[in-house]
Amino acid sequence: MTTTPLVGDIEPIVPAAGGTARATWRSFRTEPLGLVALGVLLVLVLVAVLAPVLTRYPSGYGDHVLAPPTGAHPFGTDALGRDVLAEVVWGTQQSLLVAIASSLIAIVFGTLVAVVGAYFRRLDGIVGLVVDLVLSLPVLPLMILVAALVGPSTATIILVVAAFSWPEVTRLVRSQALTVVHLPYVDAARLMTSNPAWIIARHIVPAVKPVIVVSVVVTASRAVLSAAGLAFLGLGDPSTWSWGRILYEAQQSGAMSSAWWLTLFPSIAILALVLSATLLSIAYNDARNPRNRRR
Amino acid sequence: MRTRTSALIAGAAGLLLLLAGCAPEAPHPAGSSGSAGGASDDTLTIATTTDVVNFNPLIGNSRSDYWITNLMYPHLLSIGNDGKKKAELATKWGYTDTTHGYYDIRDDMTWSDGQPLTAEDVAYTMNAVKQDAPAGTYYGQMAHFASAKAVSKKRVEVTLTQPDTSVIDEIGFWGNVVPEHVFQPAGSVAKFANDGSSGGWVSAGPYVLTSKQVGQSYTLERVQHYPLAPGGTPGPAKVVYRVFPDVNTEILALQSGEVDLIANALPPAQVKQLQNAQGITVQEVTGLGYAHMTYNMDNPDLAKLEVRQALAHAVDYDAIRKVVLQGQAVSTGSSPLMPVLKDYYDPSIKEYSFDTKLARSLMEKAGYTADADGNFPVRFRLIYSLQDTVTASWVQLVKDDAAKAGIVIDLAWSERNTYLAQTNAGDFDIYAGNFAIMDDPVTNFTLAYLPKGSINYTHNDDPTLNDLIEQASTQTDTAKKISIMRKAAKLVHDQVYDNVMYTQNLYFAHSSAWTGFVPEPSELLSIVNPISVSSAHKR
Amino acid sequence: MRLGRGVLTIWFAVTVTFLLLRLLPGDPAQAVASPTMTAETRAALLAQYGLDKPLIVQYGIYLGQLLHGDLGLSFTQSIPVTTVLFERLPWTLLLTVTALVLTVVVGIPLGVLAASHRGRLLDKVVQVVGVTGQSIFVPSVGVLLLFAFGLMLRWLPIGGAYDVGVYGVAWYGSVAEHLVLPALSLMLVQLGSYVLTMRSTLIDALGEDYVTLARANGLPYRRILWRHALRNALLPTTTLIGLQLGFLVGGAVLTETVFAYPGIGRGIYEAVTQLDFPVLQGAFLFLALTVVVANMLTDIVYGFLDPRVKSA
Repeated sequence: MTTTPLVGDIEPIVPAAGGTARATWRSFRTEPLGLVALGVLLVLVLVAVLAPVLTRYPSGYGDHVLAPPTGAHPFGTDALGRDVLAEVVWGTQQSLLVAIASSLIAIVFGTLVAVVGAYFRRLDGIVGLVVDLVLSLPVLPLMILVAALVGPSTATIILVVAAFSWPEVTRLVRSQALTVVHLPYVDAARLMTSNPAWIIARHIVPAVKPVIVVSVVVTASRAVLSAAGLAFLGLGDPSTWSWGRILYEAQQSGAMSSAWWLTLFPSIAILALVLSATLLSIAYNDARNPRNRRR
Repeated sequence: MRTRTSALIAGAAGLLLLLAGCAPEAPHPAGSSGSAGGASDDTLTIATTTDVVNFNPLIGNSRSDYWITNLMYPHLLSIGNDGKKKAELATKWGYTDTTHGYYDIRDDMTWSDGQPLTAEDVAYTMNAVKQDAPAGTYYGQMAHFASAKAVSKKRVEVTLTQPDTSVIDEIGFWGNVVPEHVFQPAGSVAKFANDGSSGGWVSAGPYVLTSKQVGQSYTLERVQHYPLAPGGTPGPAKVVYRVFPDVNTEILALQSGEVDLIANALPPAQVKQLQNAQGITVQEVTGLGYAHMTYNMDNPDLAKLEVRQALAHAVDYDAIRKVVLQGQAVSTGSSPLMPVLKDYYDPSIKEYSFDTKLARSLMEKAGYTADADGNFPVRFRLIYSLQDTVTASWVQLVKDDAAKAGIVIDLAWSERNTYLAQTNAGDFDIYAGNFAIMDDPVTNFTLAYLPKGSINYTHNDDPTLNDLIEQASTQTDTAKKISIMRKAAKLVHDQVYDNVMYTQNLYFAHSSAWTGFVPEPSELLSIVNPISVSSAHKR
Repeated sequence: MRLGRGVLTIWFAVTVTFLLLRLLPGDPAQAVASPTMTAETRAALLAQYGLDKPLIVQYGIYLGQLLHGDLGLSFTQSIPVTTVLFERLPWTLLLTVTALVLTVVVGIPLGVLAASHRGRLLDKVVQVVGVTGQSIFVPSVGVLLLFAFGLMLRWLPIGGAYDVGVYGVAWYGSVAEHLVLPALSLMLVQLGSYVLTMRSTLIDALGEDYVTLARANGLPYRRILWRHALRNALLPTTTLIGLQLGFLVGGAVLTETVFAYPGIGRGIYEAVTQLDFPVLQGAFLFLALTVVVANMLTDIVYGFLDPRVKSA
């Protein structure tokens, strides 16, 4: 009940003096998969930011419903004749927002709990227990339950995904933090100051930073899939374009197999985001791991 | 080492046992009634998107519940394409005086366990529903019902608490008849699950349920004798309902021939697609309900007639019918008396025109001044249900159109149950939704426009309208009743107490290998009504 | 101790579900009755469900029932919750266990392959394949698979768990046929975790001293890999299986929806739309139980794989 390595194991490492980051980057640069993943992510972020420049916001209705891709509509049109390309572009914004917001909340909360737990030994037992208990809850069914009862909206989705992601973060960060709190320099710091916040901020958080980076990526990409899944079950935000909403509307109009463009393009977008985020975290992990660097 | 190995083996064996204990159990062929006298050995496989929730027809509310129980528990009356009630179990029905009605029933229907279906069953069902108040639609029709009595094997007499010239039709149409000898020993009809756990089901319809696998299929077998089927025996030997939660999979299964018919109405965008598909026939079925918006008059802005008129004129109804419904809907002329109710429909009532200029001037007339951006200082919250996908599509257009007239509409969606709670609590400014079956104008007006009506979402209380509806509900002369109802409808239209937008015509797809279906109006009856299913046959 | 932990886990899941259902908005009477119901009908329904009592009393009654093994009656179906759940349970277990076995059978060799070709092209390909599986949106791929294998090629059936009206040996064949696509999709989704876990733990294990020692002693590489390193690398994989089993049983909602498979995940979704509190409580209780059982099994397997744990 204690370990779920999702992206391989994160090895406990002792933060060495400066230069680690640079060494990591140097190693990372030789990793083509990581670089491609980073590139894809950057493109997606650009698309999200530049959405207003790239396409008109999809609204109203069009004359040709369910038209296959043409020059005018490179991704075809949906059941109300709206441009699918515009929907995917604007959907990027929403999907990235959900991913980033929910993973940030989960990371901040999860890290806080983990670090405080690791520092104050008396709390650690409770933290460990709570994390284990929450981790054993069925995540997707509970998300469905809460989203349906509270009412589907972007805020609900972000909060629901965050609420069920933090224990995973806590678990990862906690195991890393526990290896640090016993190191001599932390003990030394304890002697120098009685302010735990300072020690936590100065010594423990930096030590768990790499784990956090990986967690951000993993949580964010999971958030994208969870949000799309919820939207597909009719529990998404119906007023804002997201990839999940495009798929949901395709499903509702029974067009998923006949109007393949409605299914294909948002699915590719989801795949691109999640895949590149995951590959990026693997590459980062490999680059950071001195054992891998040695070869 | 050896102990560990044997422990391992024991553990593995234990696990296997555990799994075997939970493993799916293979079904056994049911004692089939055989095909003696049957028209064919064919199985008609029907797809539906939901499971049966409750096998008790007096409780069940979902479509699958209705479709499947409707093949077993006959209704006294059915409805024709002209919107008029027609005979099913009852052969004659009507009133003996203002507070007494009657049904004469067929004497050739029997329950599948051999017991005859008599007037006793009919009277028992009505009285039990009145007494136990099961949660289904049936009980909602019983407001003016006092009691029923079987005066002979063929005749049931009903006593009313007050004059009501619709209730005999409505009880006859909405109420199933259940076997007294099965339901009565089970206690309250509001709690009886009728899930076949005590010796299977007993049917007086063309088919009887013989087995079920929740989440996947419900198998019904033909009864020997069903007087309403051509030749007295149902055609297909078996009817299998299969559950496909996703409409896309449902369509794929129809195309691959795995199912013969989809019981759910097709999404509007799929109709043309499937009409052109080879081997698939698309059948049109008359709609019997309407989609509408109501404006909550408890809101001081919406209490003003001009504001309601402005909103009504700020909707492009044509575009909604053309795009969202793909032309598969007819205008009702913004009147609650739909064209399908041929006798009642009044063509002189015209639809609210889409005219944002007019809407603006109406707003000004109501005393509002637009700001520099052309927006009036009002904001309305429109609620709708996410499960209602057609409505969910057009509310976007309603919002966009209203914005052109300078009126801001905020969309407030929710999951169906929350939405229903909001409508009941009056927690909205504008309500958008639809009713699948609005078969009887007087009943519907009573529910929708009288102050205590359970679907009076406008919260209106207009003495003139109240009076008209009361008059109509006791009026025995049909022609007079119609003229009163037309007056009432005109009032509803002119005062914008309701904004009825269209009646959706429904389309159902089935394999071209099958033919002989007998469509009846609405999605509940469509081509899966008992007569249609028992008349179907392979080409 | 272990038992206590298990009971605690189940209590926690049950309590969370109980509280969520009652503290969040949602009116079960609304879901059962027709929209035209009156206030009296609603009050009567709530009283019938016991929802008119104070929260703490409801909780007490509920826990009391649980201790007697009574999960209550379904609001909408008027039958015992256990009956509702047990109709779907076997299919969920069949699908989950099949998918899990497939994943392990495919995932472990792939992980070994990647680890032993570390840094080379094969390693990258395996990694990308694994991660791609994790990143797909199940319904899209599901519809694609159904379209290709069900409609175009006609190799496999579309939807359901078996053909109605098929009995005996043919029935088992039909069950197997219907299982292929949903199990395949579930496998695809999980494969990544196994491949990556296997790969990274194996890489670590191959760097351990005893492996170096064994190599120095002239043991063939293959033998070291499969006999020694793999044994150690299997530990985290075992943990993963235990955890995933719990997730899979209730979490295959999307797969079950698209493939029309009569599983418990879809059952939960439907109970949510009907606000059927007792069924939801029962389902979540059952899922927690699965997690506890899976963890106990994991511990047992762990004991066999890792001598250190056994001696402890």
